[in-house]
Amino acid sequence: MEYAYYPGCSLEGTANDYGRSVLAAFKLLDITLKEIPNWTCCGSTAAHSLSHVKTVLLPCKNIAGAEELGLELVSPCPMCYNRLLYAQDQIKKRLYDSPWPLSGELPIHDPTRLLSAPDYLKQIKERVIRPLKGLRVVSYYGCQMVRPPKLTGFKEFQNPTTMDKIIEALGATSLDWSYKTTCCGASIKIGRKDIGNFLAQRLVQKALDFGAEAIVVSCPLCQFNLDSVQFETGNKMLPIFYFTELMVLAMEEQPMPKHFKTHLVDPIPLLHSKSLLT
Amino acid sequence: MSETDGFREITKKGNKLLSKIQGDIGVNINSCYQCERCTNSCPVAEFMDIKPHQVIRYVQLGYREEVLNSRTIWVCLSCEMCTAHCPNEVGVAEVIICFRNWAAQSHFESSEGELEIFYRKFLKELNKFGRINEMWLMASLNMDPKILFKKLQSAEIFSELKLAYTLMSKGRLHFLPKKSNAVKELRKIKAE
Repeated sequence: MEYAYYPGCSLEGTANDYGRSVLAAFKLLDITLKEIPNWTCCGSTAAHSLSHVKTVLLPCKNIAGAEELGLELVSPCPMCYNRLLYAQDQIKKRLYDSPWPLSGELPIHDPTRLLSAPDYLKQIKERVIRPLKGLRVVSYYGCQMVRPPKLTGFKEFQNPTTMDKIIEALGATSLDWSYKTTCCGASIKIGRKDIGNFLAQRLVQKALDFGAEAIVVSCPLCQFNLDSVQFETGNKMLPIFYFTELMVLAMEEQPMPKHFKTHLVDPIPLLHSKSLLT
Repeated sequence: MSETDGFREITKKGNKLLSKIQGDIGVNINSCYQCERCTNSCPVAEFMDIKPHQVIRYVQLGYREEVLNSRTIWVCLSCEMCTAHCPNEVGVAEVIICFRNWAAQSHFESSEGELEIFYRKFLKELNKFGRINEMWLMASLNMDPKILFKKLQSAEIFSELKLAYTLMSKGRLHFLPKKSNAVKELRKIKAE
C-alpha cells in the first residue's frame, strides 16, 4: 500500500521523534509513505484565530499536492489533520476558491484509525516480536483528531478506541479512563501558563489515579504539554509515548534505546523494568 | 414602534448580528435553548468571563461589543467540546472563533494580548519560510518589546532558555529553518 504523507512542521522540529517513529512503524508494516513535495504549514491555530480565509486556503496547497501524487493522504499531526479536513469541507461546499486545483474528494486519514482497521491490526499482531507484556498505559487522544465528529467522522467521539486497539495488539494493557479526549491546553501556555498547567497537570494526575505507568498519545503538542508539565508537580513522573514509538519497540528487531532520549521524562527506567530494552 | 420599546429594539439589533454570523459560518444559533451543555463540557469555562452558553444569548440579543471585548474569545481552546455536545448543533466553538477573527481585525485591544501577538508572529514566520521553525518562532515572539519586558520581569525568560537548551541538546530544536519552495505561492494569498 502507498499513501501520500504530510508530516507538518512539528514532525521535523520538536516532534521529530514522532516523525521518525511514524516512518519506521509504517515501514515495518510494508506501507510506503510518499512525502508531498514542497509541503507547507497548515496554518494551525494562528490562521484559525486571525483569518478565516487563511484557515481554508493554507491547507489547500498540501491537499492539492497529495492529489497530484494520486494517493490517499496520511497526516499524523492531529492539528494538521483537522485543518486539512476543514479546508477540504469548505472547498467542497464551494464557499472558497482554492488557488490550487482541488477535487475536494481526497480521503484524508489519521494514522490511528488507519492502522486499527482489521487488516492492519492483524498484521501488527503477527509482526510483534517483543510483546509489551505488563506495560499498563492509558491512551490519550486529545481534541483535534476526534472532534468535531461531523468533520472527522469519529463514531465513538466520546470514547474513541482506535489507539487502545493498537496498544492491545502490541501486548500492552490499555486501561480505561475518562479523560481520553479532554483538552491538554494546546498552545494556551504561550499567554496563560496557569490555564495550560491546570489542564495538563490534571490529566497526568488522573492517569496516575487510574494506575497507569505511561500515557500514549498521537499528537506532538499533547506530548510536549504532558511531558513538560510534570517537573513542577513533584509527583511520580509518567513517560509520554507516541503510539508509533510503542509499535516500533514491539516490532523492531533491534530496539533503539537512543530513540527515547528525546523525551523530557525519561522512559528508559520503565522500559528496563519491564525488560523491554536489552 | 416607540423609542422606549427596549425589548423590540434589542431583538432587532440581535437579528442583524444573528444573520451575519449565521451567514458567515453557517451555524444555527436560533435553536439554542440554553441547556448549558456547552458550558458544562468546556474545560476552560471557569477562566471565561462570558460563558459559552451566554455567548450564544449575547449574539441573539445583539451584544456584539461585549463579546468582542471579552476574555472568553481568546481563552477558548477551540477543542470543540461544546460543538460536539450541543444537542441542537449550534456550533458554539465556531461562533466564539468567529468573534476572535473579528476582534483580531478591529481596534479592540485583546484581553489576552500575548496570545494575539503570538498568532501574528506565527503567520509572519509562515510567510517567511512556508513552514514553522519553533526556535525562530519563539525568538521572534520574545523579541517583541512588550513580551520581552514581561518575561524579564518575571524571570520566565530564563526557564524558557533552559528548556530551549534541553530541547536543543536532545536534537529537537534546529537553528536553521527548513524552507518550502512553495512559499511564494502562499504569499499570493492576499488575506491577512
